Amino acid sequence: MLVLGIETSCDETSAALVADGEEILSNIIATQLDLLRKYGGVVPEVAARRHAELIGYVIKEALDSAGRNLADVEAVAVTARQGLAGCLLIGVAAAKSLSYCRHIPLVGLHHIEGHIFANRLSNPRMSLPHVCLTVSGGHTMLLYVSDAGRYELLGTTLDDAAGEAFDKIAKFLGLDFPGGPVIDRLAVGGNSRAFKFPRPMIKAASYDFSFSGLKTAVINSLKDRVAKREKLPLPDIAASFQEAVVDVLVTKTLRAAGEKGVKTVSVTGGVSANSRLRAAFQDACKKKGLEVFFPKLSLCTDNAAMIAAAGCARLRRGERDGLDLNVLPNAPLEV
Amino acid sequence: MIILGIDTSGYANAVGVVDGEQVLADFVFEARTDSLEKIVANIDHALKSAGLGLDCVQGIGAGLGPGSWTGIRVGVTVGKILAFSTGRPVAGVPTLEALAYGARDETSLICPVISAGTGDGVYAAFYRPAGDGFTREGDYYVGPARGLVGMIKDGTVFVGSEEVLKGLRALLGDGVKMVAAVPGGAAVAHLASLRLERGDMDDALSLTPLYLKESTAKAFINRYTRVKG
Repeated sequence: MLVLGIETSCDETSAALVADGEEILSNIIATQLDLLRKYGGVVPEVAARRHAELIGYVIKEALDSAGRNLADVEAVAVTARQGLAGCLLIGVAAAKSLSYCRHIPLVGLHHIEGHIFANRLSNPRMSLPHVCLTVSGGHTMLLYVSDAGRYELLGTTLDDAAGEAFDKIAKFLGLDFPGGPVIDRLAVGGNSRAFKFPRPMIKAASYDFSFSGLKTAVINSLKDRVAKREKLPLPDIAASFQEAVVDVLVTKTLRAAGEKGVKTVSVTGGVSANSRLRAAFQDACKKKGLEVFFPKLSLCTDNAAMIAAAGCARLRRGERDGLDLNVLPNAPLEV
Repeated sequence: MIILGIDTSGYANAVGVVDGEQVLADFVFEARTDSLEKIVANIDHALKSAGLGLDCVQGIGAGLGPGSWTGIRVGVTVGKILAFSTGRPVAGVPTLEALAYGARDETSLICPVISAGTGDGVYAAFYRPAGDGFTREGDYYVGPARGLVGMIKDGTVFVGSEEVLKGLRALLGDGVKMVAAVPGGAAVAHLASLRLERGDMDDALSLTPLYLKESTAKAFINRYTRVKG
């Protein structure tokens, strides 16, 4: 089944063609990095305007670069749940129009389900059940995936997402946007023990996360030095902050894996591209006899291939949406 | 030439179908927050009521706005993707021009007015009837309704929703001619048809809404830049 995926939930306009839920024929992603840098983050109205400008081009490019045309497309899958309302609706309006014109099935997806499938696309042999940590600038969720399409939410962030904390610390330090890749690069040359930053909720009984307090602790510990215009040891700060985030994510994910008795851990989302997070998960999982999987770097951030793959699984189960499909910006993942 | 026209810029969403001078369907649907949910089903309904399928449609007219920013993005996205998927030509139609069409029998200057959503802010323009269509005189107007007072000429006819006209009547008195109308789907289709018959079409992929106002973030940055400069 050839599925056209469409993803516009935040700041990437993306369209992809995926065959049988496994083979990526194209995955076109138009980023809004220029706008993010200009405004220091995602401005919903600005992002929605850019999606409306680009949506037609990315769909055409997804077809052209795969050497296919619309007549080859057998179904449309689109992110309809979780994200910015004004952004989601561009993708859904386009998907409905395509479905109506071509008389092909339409299915609306939850954005997080896409991230779960990003790892399956990259690692077809990844087994079920498993524990999945999906972590990005917009969310930090720990899930138990018992079977395809069956999710149990174990924990989520109570305030900032992990990636959001990276962005905010980068902004405080006067670094580039987005903060994740910049801090990752800086931290390579730093000492992760130079600063003792807190590990919020690392010992809490629940699997929830909180990164707002860590962000405040980092900023407070440096405020005096910033006020005195002292030169900050940026690599050490980056490495120490990053280590605190990684420590919390790895510890809680492995505890969940142990409690659920799974042998496999899946880490997805934009922050799963972080090199220190990958290394720490690999070390810790090896010690516990667990297998850990990460998406290809190109599938870590938001993309439509993961939506097409997730959509294919739902379509195969006979799920369809009607032309009245609407967006649900705050919908929980169907569990 | 069978043309489908859509406009989702306001609280009343419009879908119409015309064939030359003949109106085959012309529907207005209330859609305060659910344009996205309803628009494609409404298009299907309008076509079926005219006894047509989408394959009969030879061109598409998309209302570009101004109006609700979210609303116009829905209509323009549906219009451009329908055009892309069917391979049919598309013509964007300013919603103010479609509103002016509501007073097409007038011979004097026509001023369509749309609420800009905040306070007494409005979008407006002045159109002169020309042949079957209109020629816009001057730039689009974005500002308080009272700003229109100094711009009107003798015989100017105002077109707008009952609510907008009520505000204008309070400003301009009863001596000014006013026509209550909404931007109709058949009006969008007809105005698109005039362009498409001349071979004047828009590039479907690059079709974008006519916002007339910058987003708050852009406005803020520009203001900040000016102060600094």
